[in-house]
Amino acid sequence: MAVLTRRRETPNVLGGLLGWVYLAITIVPIYYIVVTSLRPRETYYTSNPLSWPSAPTLEAYRQVLAADFARYFLNSVIVTAVSVAVVVFLSLLAAYVIVRNRSKLTRRMFDLLLLGIAIPLQGVIIPVYYLIVEVGLYDTLWAIILPSIGFAIPITVLILVNFLRDVPGELFESMRLDGATDWRMLWTLVVPLSRPAIVTVAVYDALNVWNGFLFPLILTQSSSMRTLPLSLWSFQGAFTVNVPAILAAVVLSVLPILAAYAVGRRQLVSGLTAGFGK
Amino acid sequence: MTATPRVGAAAPARRGQRSVGTGAGSRGAGSPGPSAWLAAPALVFFGLFAIVPLLGVVALSFTQWDGLGTPTFVGFDNWPRVLGDPVTQNGLKLTILLTVATLVIQGPIALLLGVFMAGRQRYRELLSILYFLPLLFSAAAVGITFKALLDPNFGLGQAFGWDWLNQDWLGRPELVIPALLFVINWCFVPFHSLLYQGAARQIPASLYEAARIDGAGRVRTFFSITLPQMRSTIITSATLQIVGSLTYFDLIFVMTNGGPGNATRVLPLDMYLRGFRSYDMGGASVVGVVIVALGLLVSFLLNRLTGNTRMESQMEGV
Amino acid sequence: MAGLTRRAVIAASVAAALSLAACGGGKQPSGPGGGASAAKTGFSAWALTGGAETTMKNSFATWTKENSSAPASVEFIANDAYKEKIRTAVGSGNAPTLIWSWAGGSLQDYVKNKNVVDLTDSTKELQSRLVPSILDTGKVDGKVYAVPNNNAQPVLMYYNLDVLKKAGISTPPKTYAELLDAVSKLKAAGVDTPISLAGQSLWPELMWIEYLLDRQAGTEVFDRILKGDKSAWSDPGMLEAMGKVQELVKAGAFGDKFGSVVADSNADAALLHTGKSAMLLQGAWVYGTFLTDAPDFVKSGKLGWGPFPTIEGGKGDPSNVYGNPANFWSVSAAASPEQQKAAIDYLNKAMFNESYVTDLVKDGMVPVTNDAAPKFKGSDQEKFLTYAYDMTANAKNFQLSWDQSLSAAQSQALLNNLGQLFLGRQTPEGYAKAMQAVQ
Repeated sequence: MAVLTRRRETPNVLGGLLGWVYLAITIVPIYYIVVTSLRPRETYYTSNPLSWPSAPTLEAYRQVLAADFARYFLNSVIVTAVSVAVVVFLSLLAAYVIVRNRSKLTRRMFDLLLLGIAIPLQGVIIPVYYLIVEVGLYDTLWAIILPSIGFAIPITVLILVNFLRDVPGELFESMRLDGATDWRMLWTLVVPLSRPAIVTVAVYDALNVWNGFLFPLILTQSSSMRTLPLSLWSFQGAFTVNVPAILAAVVLSVLPILAAYAVGRRQLVSGLTAGFGK
Repeated sequence: MTATPRVGAAAPARRGQRSVGTGAGSRGAGSPGPSAWLAAPALVFFGLFAIVPLLGVVALSFTQWDGLGTPTFVGFDNWPRVLGDPVTQNGLKLTILLTVATLVIQGPIALLLGVFMAGRQRYRELLSILYFLPLLFSAAAVGITFKALLDPNFGLGQAFGWDWLNQDWLGRPELVIPALLFVINWCFVPFHSLLYQGAARQIPASLYEAARIDGAGRVRTFFSITLPQMRSTIITSATLQIVGSLTYFDLIFVMTNGGPGNATRVLPLDMYLRGFRSYDMGGASVVGVVIVALGLLVSFLLNRLTGNTRMESQMEGV
Repeated sequence: MAGLTRRAVIAASVAAALSLAACGGGKQPSGPGGGASAAKTGFSAWALTGGAETTMKNSFATWTKENSSAPASVEFIANDAYKEKIRTAVGSGNAPTLIWSWAGGSLQDYVKNKNVVDLTDSTKELQSRLVPSILDTGKVDGKVYAVPNNNAQPVLMYYNLDVLKKAGISTPPKTYAELLDAVSKLKAAGVDTPISLAGQSLWPELMWIEYLLDRQAGTEVFDRILKGDKSAWSDPGMLEAMGKVQELVKAGAFGDKFGSVVADSNADAALLHTGKSAMLLQGAWVYGTFLTDAPDFVKSGKLGWGPFPTIEGGKGDPSNVYGNPANFWSVSAAASPEQQKAAIDYLNKAMFNESYVTDLVKDGMVPVTNDAAPKFKGSDQEKFLTYAYDMTANAKNFQLSWDQSLSAAQSQALLNNLGQLFLGRQTPEGYAKAMQAVQ
């Protein structure tokens, strides 16, 4: 059952107008990125930055793909997939506990996690570095995955708790009367109902890990362990920068997440029809 | 280990708020809920890779270290030096300014956008993908893009032929802060509107039906139904925004590196520059601890004072 | 039910811990990222992207082919990212065998903490090939701790001869007075930004004050600062130089938008080759930028170059040069003896050999060897290379940029206050006081 019916009396003109303005603001910089990635390097400064290039070229893309792009891409995929899977699973368990188990202990857990939201990455990176070195994981993909999981958990739990608490208690009660265990309730009730939330946090966490720069930078050193954000280095000279190539690399690294989001949105929408509107 | 089951619902002890007793957080008699052990793995990861390093930072703040030698213990020496430094104090002011400005700008826009997207407009599919795009780009990408677009000689001004766009955006202290705010909000409004969109969709249609029958207009409905129902999401989003602003580093670093002068040297940037450019790890750690303390204070206050830690649902009696 | 859950969780944790340990048996972060055998006998290096990257890639590849028992493994990292990584790596004993540096303050830190090896005696073979003044930069207390590894990067003036001519200036200004005159002529001709300056990046502004001080008062003022004499910041010569900066800014020499111009996207070079500016003070590497971003501009002969103007009555030797003499390799003291030996062998035998120098010249860069001049003949970039090389070789003093020579804390304060000075928010006296207050 639809939860929000559109008013059919008067069209929301002001809202529509503002929506279009905001759309323009959103799109122009992205258009710039795409257009510049197709521009030949020699005309970069002489042409209007927003114009479609008179001689568009895929040269920048060719350079990016030739610079070991596939390997960085694969590393990014592995790191992101593993991190997000683990984070979402563990955070869901933790959120479930926090929302359903109202003991003092779980309260303290939640408070502790709130602490984690405010930890600045650049501040703790040195201790994390020494920790990773001690455990012997330096310069492996695990060096990126494990701290990413640790840092993503607080926000993920916070968002999931926010969504989970609105699952009506009666549903739990009726399941318990049927003799269901907490575990069973988690899988057959909570997960399906919180699918929109799960997709939201999964995409958000995936984005952060995919674009994460500091962990790969400090915790790995071989080019075989590099992830996509570090691939921009190939086009950043000591004093000069190949702008079209950098932006081409950016476009190529954005496409997979965009695809994931487009697919995930379907889930978001279909998850809603199974919603609990009354 | 499970918590001692409390007899009777949680409801009687928690009066005073509208939402009482029917959300997931209320358990009814005799059910202790899932074992706390389920949360253990999450806490282990978090504890090991976030809390332990944090303790390391606290320890470092009492040492003098240039990154090369071994840290030497200097007691509280770093603290008055750093906290009394006008640059850091300015950083604190800037951080607060940025946080408040972000909240004031980002909050309403994201809220309106989220509610807008939750409705059934035409092209909603396409629009929601387009609105989401800014979030996909890394700070490096956004930084490069906007530095180019804001270039007074080759940027947007030249593109549109509007000379007023050819300002010294990143070079003049009074212009750089609005410019930075614009870019930051450009990046993050999509995420928060996503949160609000999800929340808006959860509002049962029956509430809107009832309002319509009572003859309430669009604006009135928004303020008396939509907003209150999204209360906890608003608080969560505000918490994330505020704490996010406190720790936000990447984009500011790429775009201005704290300049011009110290005009954008917010606390996270101050911490980074102290540690990785001036090689004063002890001083940098002091700033780090300040950031964490601020963030903790804020999220604590926000969540406690607004009752957000109560796990009851908004949807009583629906 | 609770028991079952608890057991499951414990089992999962144990499994996780076990797999962690299994992976943990893997890499230790020392030496090259290659196989175990390479770790023992070869060596590793971290270098910057761009610049001499191709030259180094070829050099290391050739070395590895000819010395399969002591292979070289090299990683190329971007500038800012490198600065973040290297300190941590050296400090934790996990530095690569060959450490890239700009010498100056950071090299002194390395020496003080015994992170790098004394190379005075072991690299005599290499040293004989190099220009002495450049080699001097890598010395600390008279001993060689770092050897140059790429091109000389002096800072010089570039001109758009076409724009100058259109404003009625037939030859580029040779003195400071002529410079001021040229600025007013250009402004009268409608050129809003007579001199291109990447103010956002700060270090291009440093080039101005370095030369202004040197031309005015010679090298002794900064020498005193290097030795730790903070009173030199209030030396009349220094205050004069800062005053001249103010003069230039007030005359509108840099336009009113320089604070947003970014050096790394080559926006300052762009101002010159698109005709929006007439002059630019930048490093020799920018010539390469002109080649890639505006090849026609270079071919048409509109690009001119020359030394920084002199100041009438100034004490400085007009042949003095500022910039980066080169970049340097140091050998990590934390590397094993075999790794050190392999690295030093490489330095002696492969650095600046025939193919190394040829590669550098091909990319438009000036090698720092003492017999490089004949190699430029026939190259497309012959005129520029010869000029830059002569400038380097004949310089009475080639001073490393201030922000590299000073300690980290001092250089941060230096750049910060400099930015304020250019923005008109700092006075020369205030600047001096701020620098004197830095520990």
